[in-house]
This record gives sequence, C-alpha cells and structure tokens, in this order.
Amino acid sequence: MKKQLHKKLHEKLVTLLFNAKAGHIGSSLSCLDILTELMVYTMKKDDKFILSKGHAVPALYVILHYLKKITTKELATFHMDGTKLPAHPSSYYLAKDIPFATGSLGHGLSLASGIAQSYKYFMKGKNKNIVYCLISDGECNEGQVWEAAQYASHFQLSNLIVLLDKNKFQAFGRIENVLGDSATKEKWEAFGFEVLESDGHKIDDIQSSFKNALSSQSDKPKIIIFDTVKGHGISFMENTLASHYDVLTPAQYDEALGDLNKL
Amino acid sequence: MRAEFAKTIQKFAEKDKKLIFLTGDLGYSAFENLRTSIQERFINAGVAEQNMLDVAAGMAYTGLNPWTYSIAPFLILKTVEQIRNDICIRNLPVKLVANGGGYGYGVMGATHHILEDLSILASFPNIKLFIPAYSTDIEPIVSKMNKYNGPSYLRLGLSPLKSSSYSGFRNVQKGKKATVIVLGPLLKNVLEAKSILNQDIDVWVVTEIPFKPPIEFYKSIAYTKRVLVVEEHVLHGGLGHIITNDLIRKSIKTKFTHIFSKRYVSKLYGSQEFHLKESGLDAKGISKNLKQLLNG
Repeated sequence: MKKQLHKKLHEKLVTLLFNAKAGHIGSSLSCLDILTELMVYTMKKDDKFILSKGHAVPALYVILHYLKKITTKELATFHMDGTKLPAHPSSYYLAKDIPFATGSLGHGLSLASGIAQSYKYFMKGKNKNIVYCLISDGECNEGQVWEAAQYASHFQLSNLIVLLDKNKFQAFGRIENVLGDSATKEKWEAFGFEVLESDGHKIDDIQSSFKNALSSQSDKPKIIIFDTVKGHGISFMENTLASHYDVLTPAQYDEALGDLNKL
Repeated sequence: MRAEFAKTIQKFAEKDKKLIFLTGDLGYSAFENLRTSIQERFINAGVAEQNMLDVAAGMAYTGLNPWTYSIAPFLILKTVEQIRNDICIRNLPVKLVANGGGYGYGVMGATHHILEDLSILASFPNIKLFIPAYSTDIEPIVSKMNKYNGPSYLRLGLSPLKSSSYSGFRNVQKGKKATVIVLGPLLKNVLEAKSILNQDIDVWVVTEIPFKPPIEFYKSIAYTKRVLVVEEHVLHGGLGHIITNDLIRKSIKTKFTHIFSKRYVSKLYGSQEFHLKESGLDAKGISKNLKQLLNG
C-alpha cells in the first residue's frame, strides 16, 4: 500500500516535470521517498517543515497535492507564466506548509532553528511540536549551514530534526571533486548533533530512522543522513549530473515511466 | 543614542513577553541590564549574522517579536540576501538595529563604517528606515517599529540634541533664504553652519524613509528656490536622490546643492569628525556650500 503510494508519487512527479519541460528531476527524485514518509506518515498538526534545498520543490508540490493542500488545477500551472508554483518556492502562497521562499542554499537550517527555538522556549503549547528541515550534501558547502549548526546545538534545539539528502552530487560535479564531503557523520557530530544514518529510499529504513529520532531523549538537535540516489528510479538518470538539468524528451518520458513501474 | 536605545528597548521588552532580543555578540557596557532583566529572551547569537537574521525570521514567522542588533555593516551588508528574501519580500516584522551609522566607528576603519545602507535597504519592499536626529527620537521611533507589522531598520548615531516633538520629516527652524534638508544626526552640523553664517535658513530634518513631505516644505522651496541636501551616505541612492527625484516629478525648479560622503578622500583614517570634514560635512564645509548657494 505504502509502496504503491511512493510509486504513484514518483510517476506524478516525473509527469509534472515532463509536462512543464522542467529540470531538477534528479534532485527531486533523490528526496521524494524521504518527504513522502515525512509528510504523509510522520508529521503532526503544527509540526513545521522547511525545504532548504528549494530546487526540489516539485517533489513537495506533488506531496502537497496528494494531501489536498494544492488543487489539481493549481498543480497544472506549475512552471508556467502566472503560476503560484514556481521552480523554487514562492513567498506569497502556502505560507503554512511552505514557510519560506528558499532557493538560495544555506538559509533553511537557520530559519528552521528560529521556529524550533520559538516552539521549544517561547510559545505556549508548542513545545511538543517538531521542526524538520531538508538540506542537501552540496548545500553543506555554505558557511551559514555551520553557523546554524553551532546555534541549534548550543541552544539545545532537541525539537529540530534535520534530514540530509546525501545524493553525492552538487550543481557542477560530484561532491568529492568540488570541496570534498562536507556532510560526514563526523562533522555533524563535532557540531553537537545526534547523528542517525539511513537508506533514503527503503521505506522501512526511513520510517525507523524517524522513529529513532523522535524517541531520542537527548537534548541535542538530530540529523538523519540519508544515503540517496540522484534521479532515483529512472535508470538513465540515476547518479548523473545531467539529471539536475535535463528535460525529458517524449521517448525518455516513456522509458522513465517503464522504469518507475518496476519500483 | 545606544544608551537611550538600551533603556527604551528594556522598557518595551519588560512589557512584551514576545519580544526577543538577539545580538551578534555585541553590546558590551550597553545591554547588561537588558540581559539581566529579560533573561532567556536575551540571546547572544554569536558572530554569525546571517544565521541570526534567519533565526529572527523564523521566530517572527511563529508570531514572536524579534529585535536584532550589531554594528551596522555586519548586520546589513554580510546579510543582504537574508534581509531581502526572508525578511523584506516575506514581509516579517524583524527589527534591524544597527550601531554606528555613517562614519560612527571613526578610526576603527572602513570595515566598521556604513555609507550605503539607505541605498540598499530602501530598494527592498516593505521595510521602513529610521535615522534618529535627536537622542529624544529613540523612544517614538522604537514605539513605531514595535507597532509596525513589517521589517524595519534603525540607524543609531550620536546626537547631543533633544526635542520635545517627533515627526519623520520635520521643520526645525524657519527661514526664507534657502531650504536645507538634512539626514538624521548631521542636523547638529547644519545648525552650527547656520549660526556661522547667521542667515535666515529654512531647516528640515529627515528621520524616516520613505517619507511624505508636508505642503509647507514645497512652499518653502517655491519661495527660496535654493535647496541644500546634507547626508552621511554616498551619492548613489541616498536622501539627495530621493529628494531630486521628487522635485523633478513635481516639476519644481530650484538651485540645488548636495553634500554627501565621498568615502575616503585622502585615504587616511581618523575620527567621525575627521571623515565628515574630508567630505565637507562638518559645520564649516556646510556653511561654505550654503554661502555659495545663497550667492548663486
């Protein structure tokens, strides 16, 4: 059942991007399973989610459509003139579910920390709510990520769970060839986080990593480092830099659907 | 003005439990009382200004009332993108309090000066800028910022002057020979220049951007046909540009002189007064420009 939903959302996402002639397919597919488990099966009312890697917003749109926060008519306007759903989130729409217009990397963890600190220390009745933030491994190049990591750790934002989509690629190369792996377990531990690791596509693994993070009694903020595949589910796109940019041709779209059918 | 600000914000913070004060590791011998008074709502966010402003944006999103503080360039230059994307376009009530407007940090050097803040910030949506001229302006300005449900910026300087009234665009002294418009605390030098010349000058002080001048201001220019703008900010995008744009749009013809910061004329460093003098923004430089305008 769950597996069927994951498959359906993969198909929906790829169709959305194909129809819109849009890119960022690889980066959206690498986090789709994580976001589905998070938003459909894990988050509670008044929990918050910040998508710091804003270029993966098509994955978020597809899930919010499934959750009836975005209408079918609205989703059909994605990427087009006059849309509320641009290729990086809007500042003017869906503020409850997409609190900030991300797209410039590095901002999300600070924004999420502000919400988490507010909930934990200053807002009555919200101290049980969790703030989630999805970042990417390439994004860990940004200095602000580490400013935020020090901050979240110092202020013991134990209600903050960072989800790291480690797909091993950034915009113009493999992470090890650009600045090296900025997203290691050791680095995040050194910055005072409780670090969990999980496969980013096996549903049971994702779910048990959420359970472990949520049941932790530690005062530390948590990070789950998800081992993911860029372009997950489409054979000719998996682990390629091109999947960050390329738009599917009709023949590729058919092939992609064939691949996804085997998921 | 920092001492007045510290006292005033403490008063507001003691009344409003949603007020959070974040500092970028600055405020030694200024904010100790505030810290003692509001305890966990006083946050030293460390030397990490980009993070501090986005934390504040996150807090404002949840309904808190965050005030942030640092030395002006660290608060608003290192963080231009956070201010634009997460505070101004998002229209959240994050308060930016910057110490050391213009050459305020003097011999500390160029890294500590801010001469471009109005140009950058006034080009962003929703934000209101406040440049107090009198030490007594702090309380009404903090009150306005606290009520405004959008972003705001406070440029703190030094001023020995006091006034019993407040308005964002004020007539300070009436006169008939020329109309002088001055930004914030440079009012002191303008008033000194006026007494050096002993002439009948109409003096206006601007402490808010954007502003809407009263009809008397335009009447003054129509009568004097001589305008002098004085500001501790570079030419581009400052008060002079705003005023000239307004006058041209209204087809008002006048003689016009503008004294602004020319950055580091001699490439030597010194006190705020030293740098103001180099740009002709001291009382003597202003009086010299004013004299030429009156005789022109």
